Amino acid sequence: MRLSLWRKTSIAILSVAMLNLGFVGATQAAIVDTAALVTTDREADLSTVRAQLERAEVRAKFEEMGVDATAIDRRVAQLNDRELHQMAVDIQNAPAGGDVVWIIGAVFIVLIILELTGVIDIFKKT
Amino acid sequence: MRKRAAFAAARFGFLLPLILVLSACVARGPFIAPSMAEGARTSVELDATPFFPQDRYQCGPAALAMTLGASDVTTTPEELVPLVYLPARKGSLQVEMQATPRKFERLSYVLSPNFDSIVAELNAGRPVLVLHNYGLPAWPKWHYAVVIGYDSARDRFILRSGTKRRDEWRARTFMVAWHHAHRWAMVVLRPGEIPVNADPRLYLQAAADFERGARPEAALRAFDAAVKRWPAEPVAWIGRGTAQYRAGRLTEASQDYAAAVRIDANHAGARNNYAQALLELGCPRRAREQLSAIDGSSLQSPLREAVSDTRVQVDAAVAQTTADSPECTIPVGGY
Repeated sequence: MRLSLWRKTSIAILSVAMLNLGFVGATQAAIVDTAALVTTDREADLSTVRAQLERAEVRAKFEEMGVDATAIDRRVAQLNDRELHQMAVDIQNAPAGGDVVWIIGAVFIVLIILELTGVIDIFKKT
Repeated sequence: MRKRAAFAAARFGFLLPLILVLSACVARGPFIAPSMAEGARTSVELDATPFFPQDRYQCGPAALAMTLGASDVTTTPEELVPLVYLPARKGSLQVEMQATPRKFERLSYVLSPNFDSIVAELNAGRPVLVLHNYGLPAWPKWHYAVVIGYDSARDRFILRSGTKRRDEWRARTFMVAWHHAHRWAMVVLRPGEIPVNADPRLYLQAAADFERGARPEAALRAFDAAVKRWPAEPVAWIGRGTAQYRAGRLTEASQDYAAAVRIDANHAGARNNYAQALLELGCPRRAREQLSAIDGSSLQSPLREAVSDTRVQVDAAVAQTTADSPECTIPVGGY
């Protein structure tokens, strides 16, 4: 079988590239990311199993919550395992900062009055 | 009728002193003042902080763009909306506010929940992104704003908030809104900056989160600062070593890992990474010494897999060579 020069060259380039991939993979695998050393061992063990599931879950929730389809990948990718877990657990209820709503201001004033009169004293425990 | 009026008066007469007593109990001095001592300043206003008025529901992207802008990142709320805004929640979540600065080669750090930490950061020239709650605990209304200064004489914080470029808040009112948002405050850091009142464990966590996806040189600056501030923290040395390793400087990497092992002889992560660096320096026998000092019985994933990978590579290298390279006899590092 005769191969064209073009084919031979591509095969050579690809082979080298694949060798290189294998080499990089092997050496990189043995250095442990610092992130794996700052979480407790138990958390790390769970998270590797959990992260795959949660990545899919958060992706689905982003879609459900109206995040632009083109941004979903970038948003999931920027979260680490711990953050993915927080999002998976709490995306519905975690505080979502949005607007200054002054109708609510009336309620807020009640809190301030309670604070000023000492009924509640949030400064005590700093 | 008369009787009822008298009753009301009696009741009021009873309440009035009570209210006075209660108010007296809580007559307190200024709130910002006590923390002045350290900075020896009475007011700060980081006027160079850019201002982006928010669009409807989008205080998250606006506040983040201002905070990033103060840290020399050129961005706009429009660029951040796709990264932090959640349409169905009509707002932005703290997790994503914290994650997004990493995209711009910045670290994020959540401050300890007191005024001192905020004031200390302002003194250091860093604006502070805060979460406020203008509702009730059971009916919250969340809002992000950026604290750019304070005036201790008048007991005020100065904010960029919503559509207001400059919004002054009494410290006490600020505290009510902040306290009911769990006193959440965050700063954005250039690699190499550490918050004034930082906790080593929390900073190293932030730096480790930053390491993933960061250029080795940027990660190096973040961990180098940690090594200088907390030289007794093994993770600071390991982080710096890994940044050196990824930048291709194996000798420097092995010196940092060695320092971590000296601080904590039982640190399996330090010994594993040290062994890997030694192996690549042509010292598989010294690498094997490091690996045999690891107690393998209690290792968890992913460290367990990494150690067994390193072991396979080290054993193969030992089998292929008759001796370590001559340079391996020279002690690595000079600590």
